[in-house]
Amino acid sequence: MSLSRIGALIRLDLTQRVRSVAWYVLLGVFAFLLLIVTVLSFFAFGSTADRGASVYSIVVFFVLLLVVLVSPTLSGNAINGDRDHATLAPVQVTLATTGEIVLAKFLAAWTTGLAFLVVAVPFMAVSLVGGGASGLTMLVSLIVLIVETGVVAAIGVGLSGTLGRSLFSVATTYLVVAAFVFGTLIAFGLGGLAVQSETTYSYRSYVYTDDGDIPDPPVCGEWETYEGTTPRFDHVWWALAANPFVVLADATPVTLNREGYPVDMFGWISVGVRSAQLAPRLETVWDECDRSMQQDDSLTSREILERTAPSWFVGLGIHIVVAGGLLVWGWARTRTPARTLPPGTRIA
Amino acid sequence: MTIADAPVQTGTADVAEPGIRARGVRRSFGAVHAVRDVTFDAARGRVTGLVGPNGSGKTTLLLMLASLLQPDAGELRVNGIDPMAEPQAARAIIGWMPDALGAWPSLTARETLQFTGRLYGLSKADAAARAAVLLDVVMLADLADAPARVLSRGQKQKLGLARALVHDPQVLLLDEPASGLDPQARVHLRELLRGLAAEGRTILLSSHVLSELEEVVDDAVFLVAGQTVDAAPDRTATDWRVRVLGGAASGAAVAAALGLDAGLLRVDRGDLIVPFPDDAAAAAGLRALVQADIPVLAFSPAVGSLERAFFDLPGTPSPGTPPPGAPTPAPAPQDGGAA
Repeated sequence: MSLSRIGALIRLDLTQRVRSVAWYVLLGVFAFLLLIVTVLSFFAFGSTADRGASVYSIVVFFVLLLVVLVSPTLSGNAINGDRDHATLAPVQVTLATTGEIVLAKFLAAWTTGLAFLVVAVPFMAVSLVGGGASGLTMLVSLIVLIVETGVVAAIGVGLSGTLGRSLFSVATTYLVVAAFVFGTLIAFGLGGLAVQSETTYSYRSYVYTDDGDIPDPPVCGEWETYEGTTPRFDHVWWALAANPFVVLADATPVTLNREGYPVDMFGWISVGVRSAQLAPRLETVWDECDRSMQQDDSLTSREILERTAPSWFVGLGIHIVVAGGLLVWGWARTRTPARTLPPGTRIA
Repeated sequence: MTIADAPVQTGTADVAEPGIRARGVRRSFGAVHAVRDVTFDAARGRVTGLVGPNGSGKTTLLLMLASLLQPDAGELRVNGIDPMAEPQAARAIIGWMPDALGAWPSLTARETLQFTGRLYGLSKADAAARAAVLLDVVMLADLADAPARVLSRGQKQKLGLARALVHDPQVLLLDEPASGLDPQARVHLRELLRGLAAEGRTILLSSHVLSELEEVVDDAVFLVAGQTVDAAPDRTATDWRVRVLGGAASGAAVAAALGLDAGLLRVDRGDLIVPFPDDAAAAAGLRALVQADIPVLAFSPAVGSLERAFFDLPGTPSPGTPPPGAPTPAPAPQDGGAA
């Protein structure tokens, strides 16, 4: 590994990107969309006490959404696109090793993705005007955003080294990203519904008079029992852990307001996802005659957070393993002297 | 023009070794046998031409020599270095110019050379200096700061050659370097290659334009259907082009002077094409024409010796109609993989 060669390769990549007009158009569209989202968020949360925190979290989520949507096109053809343009082999015959080439491609794609974060910074700063956003929340969410941008970049570069056709590798990058974003939701939803548990619901109430009054002394009626089923999301909650939006929400520390509710979107999603870890009550008893038997199932946000475990590091770990694995695979398929070539490709 | 003042010092291998040595090299892409059996030496200080029809495996062979592709079997040495075992060492002394024109479209010619220099380990200042020298060498100085996308095919070809020379390589592998060049640039390329060879470098170049190759190569390696073949040494029955004052109308006089049946002579663009059994007969024929007071303007082989050798290759379709009963040439393999 030579740092000067990696540096040269990164500059080679970035120089070409910054000379493309499309790149500035994309940044402009990105900024424009962020402006709309920020303004709308201020209108939506303008009357709440911690509107800054809400706006901030929405802006960050939106940035993550755009990064997830844009990054595959920035990285998904990094290596096979160069092969198509016959500019890969002239680099491979230099002293630059395959490892250096793949690493530089990844770092360049990551840097390109980070440029979008830089554009988003003013909008994040504006949300601070509203107040309520804590420094720690900002720090953690930014770090997660930066890491996730790198994950998408690595997936794209890895697949572009693995697959021959650049169109195919861009599409596959989108599919992998979609598997994380939507696939986890589908797995969670369907998985939870597929695994159902029997529930029993028992109740008894007073025997009412014909007038609808409770006689004195009250007479308790017979116990009645109903059976049903309930989805077991607590068995599949981990499927959500690999969702990048959940990672972002779960990693940021939750701030609760005076009423005990989360102050921002991070907190709401975090509490919602964490509550899925809790097993549903399978036997419910409702006894009108004995008020002490009546249970209140609803937990406060604080109770949910205290009873459940954070999962963001598992999700982030899965992302990093998948991204790293694809990079290594891409490296192995791009190595020279090549023994096998991706189907349908020429080396030069 | 010399490029010997390059800042890179390379080439520490055994001087006794030929610049390029290939023994029994084989490479297939699935069912396509691009290179079946290649054995040849390319000597240092000489220009070796790689001659063969389309799909004969020239590009695949060059890719293997350039350390990009592994052979299935056989042995390759470049200045004694095995490009498979020590690709880094081989790359430091090999300059490769691909047939595909891969130039970074938004980079200028100067930047292209500077980046390439950086990737060969040159410092920024050295890479800049080297780029300036090479832009002059390949006559691209006036387009140095134009983006590569505006360059014509020939200009990109020059840039590709300059890129192959960035690290002052000892061994040059050039795949169709002259394609797209104008006549002046071709002459310049020829002089440049002769100069590089004179400095002791090994140059292997492939080209389809045999007449052009003929003017620059010292040796030729013939590749047919992925195999190196010995060029047929016999010089039997070759055609000679005879131009006489008065044109083809003097055909009968020429035939008479040579003692040939006039029906054996053909006319091509005003010249007479005369078959002679061998070189000695051709020399005797010329003497006979002069002695018969026939005003001979030109007397030359109808095709270049490389071209003649090429069409004499086993399995190469002859330019004329094959005589009945001639063995059908083996079909050349399809272009596949990197072939």
